Amino acid sequence: MKKIEAVIKPFKLDDVKEALSEIGIYGMTVTEVNGYGRQKGHKEIYRGAEYVVDFVPKIKLEIVVADNRADETIETVRNAANTGKIGDGKIFVLNVEKAVRVRTGETDTDAL
Amino acid sequence: MENSQARVLIQKKESLIQAFLAGKEPFFLEKLTRFLDEYFFTVYEKSITAGKMVASQHPFAIIALGGYGRKEQCIHSDIDLLILFDAAVPPEVEGFVQELLYPLWDARFEVGYAVRSIDECIAMAFDRFDVLTTVLDARFICGLSLIYSAFKERFRRQLSGRYYKQALDYLFDHGIKRLENFGDSTYLVTPDLKSGFGGLRDYHTLLWYAKIKSDIKERRDLEYYGFLSHFEYETLEKTLAYIWDIRNRLHHITGRKCDTLHFEYQTEVAGLLNYSNPGDQPDVEVFLGDLHAHMEFLKQVNQITFEDIFASSRIRKEPAAPHLTKTPGLVIQKRRLYFANTVVILQHPELLLKIFLESGRRRIPLSIEARRVVSEFVHLVDEDMKADPENIKIFKKILALSFWEFNVLNVMLSTGILEQFIPEFGAITNKIQYNHYHLFPVDKHSIRCVQVINSFREPGTNVITTLYADVFKEVRNKNLLLITALLHDIGKSDPAKEHSKTGAAIAGPILKRMGFNATEAADGQSLIQNHLLLAKTATRRDIFDEETAIYTANKVGKIRLLRMLFLLTVADSMATGPKAWNDWTENLIKDLFLKTMRILKTGELASKKSQRLIQQKKMKVLALLKESGQDHDILQLLKSMSGRYLLYMPAIHIADHINLYRNLGDRQFIWQISKEKNSDIRTVAICGREKPGFYSKIAGVFFLNRINIVASQAYPLGDTHILDIFKVMPPRDRLFENEKWEKAVKDLTQALDDDLFLDKVVDKIPDRITIASGRRPEPNQVRIDNETSSFFTIIEVLTYDFAGLLFTITNALYRSGLNVNIAMVGGKVDQIIDIFYVRDLENDQKIRDPEKLKQIKTAIIKRLPQIHAKEVVNEKN
Repeated sequence: MKKIEAVIKPFKLDDVKEALSEIGIYGMTVTEVNGYGRQKGHKEIYRGAEYVVDFVPKIKLEIVVADNRADETIETVRNAANTGKIGDGKIFVLNVEKAVRVRTGETDTDAL
Repeated sequence: MENSQARVLIQKKESLIQAFLAGKEPFFLEKLTRFLDEYFFTVYEKSITAGKMVASQHPFAIIALGGYGRKEQCIHSDIDLLILFDAAVPPEVEGFVQELLYPLWDARFEVGYAVRSIDECIAMAFDRFDVLTTVLDARFICGLSLIYSAFKERFRRQLSGRYYKQALDYLFDHGIKRLENFGDSTYLVTPDLKSGFGGLRDYHTLLWYAKIKSDIKERRDLEYYGFLSHFEYETLEKTLAYIWDIRNRLHHITGRKCDTLHFEYQTEVAGLLNYSNPGDQPDVEVFLGDLHAHMEFLKQVNQITFEDIFASSRIRKEPAAPHLTKTPGLVIQKRRLYFANTVVILQHPELLLKIFLESGRRRIPLSIEARRVVSEFVHLVDEDMKADPENIKIFKKILALSFWEFNVLNVMLSTGILEQFIPEFGAITNKIQYNHYHLFPVDKHSIRCVQVINSFREPGTNVITTLYADVFKEVRNKNLLLITALLHDIGKSDPAKEHSKTGAAIAGPILKRMGFNATEAADGQSLIQNHLLLAKTATRRDIFDEETAIYTANKVGKIRLLRMLFLLTVADSMATGPKAWNDWTENLIKDLFLKTMRILKTGELASKKSQRLIQQKKMKVLALLKESGQDHDILQLLKSMSGRYLLYMPAIHIADHINLYRNLGDRQFIWQISKEKNSDIRTVAICGREKPGFYSKIAGVFFLNRINIVASQAYPLGDTHILDIFKVMPPRDRLFENEKWEKAVKDLTQALDDDLFLDKVVDKIPDRITIASGRRPEPNQVRIDNETSSFFTIIEVLTYDFAGLLFTITNALYRSGLNVNIAMVGGKVDQIIDIFYVRDLENDQKIRDPEKLKQIKTAIIKRLPQIHAKEVVNEKN
């Protein structure tokens, strides 16, 4: 199993969710996160006072899928989250040792 | 271990539950209590151990405590028992307890017990006050009743004597602690039926208070001893029956003593209670609304109790005589507001409003009696009174006095005066929104929203709260903002989805009634209609895209509205619950606000007129393309075009450009050359895939091919493409013009692939140029404007025209790591101003670093040739 972590632009969340559900992936964890990377923060001025935003609001998605679905999932997320601009985000893929469904005790891909 | 009595008990309880579920058992609690009593009595009677203890001079009494003592036994309620001995506790009692309780434990009854002597029990009750409250509810079941009465008498004597104040203090502190631990349950979507605020504990507390104070025996006595009015007592009975019913069903569904009405059980409980609603609102929401109304009553009971406890124990030393307030007809006694008498209300019904103003100003709560009186006289607030400008003024003042710490509006709501004053508000009272997101019913949420707005009066401690305070200061019509906050969700009374729109319609007449003029009322309606705009746009659209801010600016329209909308959005989100408000959302909304403000303050892009022009132009383009306006791709493309482009480009050209875009295919770029009428000038429209330095490279290729640029514009086309328009002089050699263009295409293709291809052209830029001017030439100037736009650094270059000028500047920009997003290069013959909207290639944002800005300026100046004036020959000579 693979865990796919994708950090994307907030307004792309709906697109990504929709694209994933089209390939039959419905389960994911969504977190609002703050990113700090190449797309640096910025400042705005209001009546002479500066309002600095040091980080950029992002959405983190965590999806666990069976090994044979990982590539397809990554590609789907990438396509849906892509605007061609800087700050589109990153995708990380991690190995998952085990998964257990709390209610039934089912394990691994049965638990996904 | 099971005995026959236990079996009998289990059977009886089972059939009782069945009858209850079938809706045929109105006295469930009493009956279950009685079955338990019967069980204990029979076991006691038959027990040999018990007989032995009695015979050996160790008589005892079996006593029910807590809820069991009050005869309020729900399906899985705990059973609290006290086995009370006169003096010493004999060792044989252990055997008896086994006999008595093991069968119950085996049958999974939750039984707790204590074996104590009278002395022990009294000492414990006054040492641990949680024991005290269970003892307050004690009830004799069986055994030697004399022991019970002896105990009760001693207990009572001490309670009304030296422990009286301590016991009241305990009740008071316990209530405060409970509020901290359980929060305000009636407001939460998963109410705790027992311990939460508005839960059964509120009623228990009143009962304990009455027992401590007046030694009442039963619930019925609450009315007889004057703790509740007749009406209140009747409502209490109905409320308790309702909540016990739900609690029992919840116990049944969960199979355990569960008192929190968790989200997942709510629909099932609503179903069991036969909630079925003919309207569109889900049954579960109707059910929760009812439950909240009932719990709200218990909360009021709690307030009554607390204020009574407070008055009777805490502030006994304060002067008891009432003193007058500045408002005739209102008096203050023991830090509570009262009406001087009820006759005065009939003469001056406006006192029903003024009492809240006085309360808010002095931060002194209304007494319970005053609340009762307001509720009962609410009908005096009639149409005439509501229309009276003086009263409207009072209401507006009250709104401005509603704070977290002291909330007049909530009391106005619970007494019914708010609904009387604004009848439309009644439709959202106790209106539940069944989801995890909304923690509060709509009415409470609306009031919280007003409170948050009022909190902006204080600058706060950090940068962001200072911003709220600054913006709030700039809001001229604060009354309008507050009213809007109160009414923003008024449309939720209609179960249809679009509550913002409905709300604006409902609010119109209210605003007029409140004395706002037509403009103000329209502003208020616009705020209500758009109250979700900022939050939605900030989270669902790219706020780094200028078009997002322009879109928002157009929707909002006016600076004063944007200010109010921003504060309303923040207050609305804060008042909704933690899921709607956190740093993350705060930053997005704040950013969108600041960017939109900039567009409104500086841009022609967001004016009504330009919007109309753009809309007209879009229609024209569709007509030119012979599109019905149904083609999704074309509409998308038009939508993605920048406002500037649509505003300044003639429709016919836009149509051409769209065709160009459609024909692009897989190529890097495509261009179209057209001749202008009555002029030698050629227009080259280039559509291509966005690539750093594209614009500069076109300029370079034209310079290389000796094609002189007269003017040019650059625009982004959606996120991925660009559109550049050049007006150029044709090549000198007209015969081979086509060949010349073909070569240019080849050169541009090469330049796009090879970043160094155009380096050879750089050397051809002249060091100095001579201009024919009668005056001393102006020196080259580069101005950088980083204030006007939130999205771009704007660079203006003032110089004199020469072949290769555009390439010189844009190449310098490109080599400084900048991307030209928008360019407006002027077409004057002599001195010109070229304007470039640029962003950093590295992070696709405007340039912040002052050092870098300085470098850019120097880089351009260094590349520009020196300007010299030609000597002017006097023609007359």
